Amino acid sequence: MSQAASQESTIATTAHRSLVLNRLGLLIRVTLLLAVAIIMLAPIVYALVTSLRSPVESFTLPPKWIPTEADWSSYRSVFTTIPFEQYIVNSTVVTLAIVIGQLITSALAGYAFARLKFPGRELCFWIILATLMIPLQATIIPVFVLIKELGLSNTRASLVLPALSSAFGAFLLRQYFLRIPDDFEEAALLEGANQWEIFWSIYLPLAKPGLSVLAILTFNVYWNEFLRPLIFLQSIDKFTLPLGLVNLQGYLGTGSISVVLAGVIVSLLPVLVVYLVGQRYLVEGIMMGGLKG
Amino acid sequence: MAQTTHSPSAPAARSGPIGWITENSLAGMARRRALLGYLFILPSLLGVLVFTAGPVIASFGLSLYQWNIIDPPTFIGLDNYERLANDTRVLQSFVTTGQFVVLAVSLQLVVSLLLAMGVQSLKQTGLRYVFRTAYFLPLLTSAASISIVLAYMFHQDFGVINYYLGKVGVARIPWLNSSTWAMLAIVLTYVWQQIGFTFIVFLGGLSGISRDVLEAADLDGATGWRRFWDITLPMLSPTLLFAAVIAVIGALQVFAEPFVMTNGGPGDATRTVVMMIYESAFSFLQIGYGSAIAVLLFVVILLVTALQFRLSNKWVFYQ
Amino acid sequence: MAEPTGRINRRNLLLTAGAGLSSLAIGSATTPAIAAAPAFLRQEQTLRIAFEGTAVDPLDQQLADGFKEQFPDANIEFIPIQGTDWNEYFAKVLTMIASGTAPDIMSVATEGTQLFASQGLSTPLDDYVKRDQAELEEYFADVHPSLVEAMMYEGSLYQLPRDFNAANMYINTTLFEEHGIDYPATDWDKDTFYQIARTLTAENGGPPFGYGWTNRLWGSWMPWIFVNDSNLLTEERAPGGEWLWDAFYADADDTVQRGGGWRWEAPQANAPANVEALEFVVQMAQEGITPSVSEGGGDLLQGFFTSNSLGMTPAGGFWAGGLNEAGMTPDAFDVQYFPKWKSQRHQFGTAGYVILESSQAKDLAWEFLKYVVSKPAMELSFGGNFSTPVRRSMLTAEQYSPTGPQHWEVFYGTLDEHPETAPIPAPPQANEMTSIFMRYTGLALTFSQSPQEALDSMQAELEELFAQEG
Repeated sequence: MSQAASQESTIATTAHRSLVLNRLGLLIRVTLLLAVAIIMLAPIVYALVTSLRSPVESFTLPPKWIPTEADWSSYRSVFTTIPFEQYIVNSTVVTLAIVIGQLITSALAGYAFARLKFPGRELCFWIILATLMIPLQATIIPVFVLIKELGLSNTRASLVLPALSSAFGAFLLRQYFLRIPDDFEEAALLEGANQWEIFWSIYLPLAKPGLSVLAILTFNVYWNEFLRPLIFLQSIDKFTLPLGLVNLQGYLGTGSISVVLAGVIVSLLPVLVVYLVGQRYLVEGIMMGGLKG
Repeated sequence: MAQTTHSPSAPAARSGPIGWITENSLAGMARRRALLGYLFILPSLLGVLVFTAGPVIASFGLSLYQWNIIDPPTFIGLDNYERLANDTRVLQSFVTTGQFVVLAVSLQLVVSLLLAMGVQSLKQTGLRYVFRTAYFLPLLTSAASISIVLAYMFHQDFGVINYYLGKVGVARIPWLNSSTWAMLAIVLTYVWQQIGFTFIVFLGGLSGISRDVLEAADLDGATGWRRFWDITLPMLSPTLLFAAVIAVIGALQVFAEPFVMTNGGPGDATRTVVMMIYESAFSFLQIGYGSAIAVLLFVVILLVTALQFRLSNKWVFYQ
Repeated sequence: MAEPTGRINRRNLLLTAGAGLSSLAIGSATTPAIAAAPAFLRQEQTLRIAFEGTAVDPLDQQLADGFKEQFPDANIEFIPIQGTDWNEYFAKVLTMIASGTAPDIMSVATEGTQLFASQGLSTPLDDYVKRDQAELEEYFADVHPSLVEAMMYEGSLYQLPRDFNAANMYINTTLFEEHGIDYPATDWDKDTFYQIARTLTAENGGPPFGYGWTNRLWGSWMPWIFVNDSNLLTEERAPGGEWLWDAFYADADDTVQRGGGWRWEAPQANAPANVEALEFVVQMAQEGITPSVSEGGGDLLQGFFTSNSLGMTPAGGFWAGGLNEAGMTPDAFDVQYFPKWKSQRHQFGTAGYVILESSQAKDLAWEFLKYVVSKPAMELSFGGNFSTPVRRSMLTAEQYSPTGPQHWEVFYGTLDEHPETAPIPAPPQANEMTSIFMRYTGLALTFSQSPQEALDSMQAELEELFAQEG
């Protein structure tokens, strides 16, 4: 065989071999990923399945992962045992107020840090950034005292007010605004637009992905938060969902496990919807945060 | 009086601060931008100062008092810190939290990186989407409520985990009833929930590595492990730093999982620093002491983060 | 069968009731007639009433309406406050007090009686009781003195007890029948109990398990301390209280010398009797008779009991309604006195309303206190058997037939037949004490420390706690 021909056939064999290896590798990878995915989803599926069984059956082993018959009475109980609708309302009101508030304050601040020049800009930015490292627990006691002094104890406002501004949001949106080219502004200035119009009509719409990311992440964090409501709220009618759910276990724990888990599933749904609606922006958003470091 | 030489179309100049701002010149424009800048950052800056920076300073202040809410506070100077220095339970909680952080963050970073690499390598977007959602889903649950679920699953006698372990011949593990295993159960629960976040971060980081560089490496004969170690990892390092810093800060503040699953037990085996803060301030109504612990936690977080950034010079590679 | 309604709460004072409720008109002839309300009560006043619970439900409203019939100018505002435990509930109320939104009345359980009293947060009721002695005679005659004594502190009464729960032994009759074990005798002893527990436990390790419990203050392994004739802390009776005992219990054949409330002055965690008790429960855990003991709540425990995975557990009258609601028929479970060791002394907890010292409407609050322990009001609240009423006359076969248990007489018999039965130790430092108690219990039950070690360490920490200024 000529040298060229033998080279060719070697390449062909190698190519064939690596194709097979690739396929095999792919199979292995997918299997492993699938195994992990099953583990990740297991607790949620377990919660769902157990909530559809009567309490007495919840404790039998082996666990049935596929419910043979769905018993929705636990879901009904969730709404009758505790004022669940009230919790949902509270969580919704608080979370939406916070999300909207943060979108506004962060968009404004992010734009300013990215595009507006003013003395002390870098200093202010670093101050805000530094607060990212302050743990909630280091501030919660004084904030609790402050809330009390303001007469806002045991109100939903006590949850909303401190969360209206966000260092993370300002940081995130700054990154977004930094990536939008200056050309837009130049063109707008030539048309005689003022600064506010430039922000409102041009750059803000362009930053939609960033706003979406912030909205999703913020919604997720505050819908699910536990520590602040635990400390700031005392009476039942103000409770948010996570607090209400933990208390669904009952004093001295006489609540039914199926009911508790039904509550867990129900409170998962709104966040899930928000995620599914906006999730394509999510990857971009966290990516941007990651790259800029 | 000398005539001004303004062009007819321009508005008459005003004096004072308004004039200073509305002056129709480059300088005026700059001033308007500056003013707008201050106005724009005002809500955020104010909020952050009042509700974050201020309270940290206030925490320092509160820690110098003894206060049980019912009676007025009394100034006791550094007594709380003296008590803190001798309080083995609180100091132990820092050690416990440290152990937790090391275990949880390393597990979280390694697994989420592997998952991200695995998903990134898939060409089919459908599969990618499915896996992304599956891995992110736990993050959407509330830590407190999903901990209830996991407490049931980890139950020594009635939980599904031990049930399946029993099927493969492993004796029942006292997950929440042993000092060593309880820590592991909490770590697993925490990592399970948090993996989605670092997973997405790494996904983004990996997709940002330019194809050209990878192909060039391939052509040079660097494949598999070498390619990972010498090319992928360094290019991923800024992302790694970001993920590590966020993960560590989060893990240092863990509260909901141990609170719900073990209440810090058995004994104090899973009692984290934040649990001690909660216990002192809100269970025993010792506001001053709780604040002192919080101040110490804050200092620890600052030091650890600073250390991470300092060390990052050695291994992070910026393009 | 009771429909799933309100929350089950052993000391919840205003509860939703099950279907077995007899409807009663409030303000009927059985309510003691109140003379035309004095002038001070005719002004519009609002009473804010805090209680541990999840919701304000129609029964609370009926209760409020009944009160308003007698006091038309009163407004009642119910404030349900919930915590996963007494500590949390209490901390939240304190926060409310601190932020100036204090309630006038709040429900307080044994754990908090002395804390409130010693801090001056609650108002002594002595003068009110003396003034209205005639009216209250019927009430005190229907209430065992042990319960009243638990609500006293240093000679004064701070609450009118409303419900209580003693730790008796609940029995899963299905498991008993399966193994051919008869319902135990009233004076069954610890060894008999142990044999039964072993028999009920599956050969190669449960489920099913013979005996289980959860780690908390009331009803954990505390009953074993008590039947071993011991206590976690030293016990003493404060002087005083004659004004009450002479007024209401002079004729009662009460064998115990009553005083002015309990004093738990010093810890004795590692007393030999306590070590014995702890060793006993730890042994059962080691032998696999007891499933893993978890902290705090007993929801898992109830679940195991109802699914016949658990044979026996300590619980009080509050479980009757709860088990029923979880799907157990009245004959699927039963209750017996706690087994006898050196004695058969039981432990109980009780609860009642407290008038806060900061209240501006104390007189009206006192009227409410009396109203709420009146028989019609109590019959309204306790229909579902989610707690045990303090009124002896309310524990009847009729009351318990819808839910079970068959041997409901045990509940009040615990007080009548065993007058040395006492409340769980609850000094002013009860919060911190409970935390220490639970921590070392957990360590012993997970075999990290031997019972002796655990109790020695517990003793050391408790001594430190008691040495501090209150």
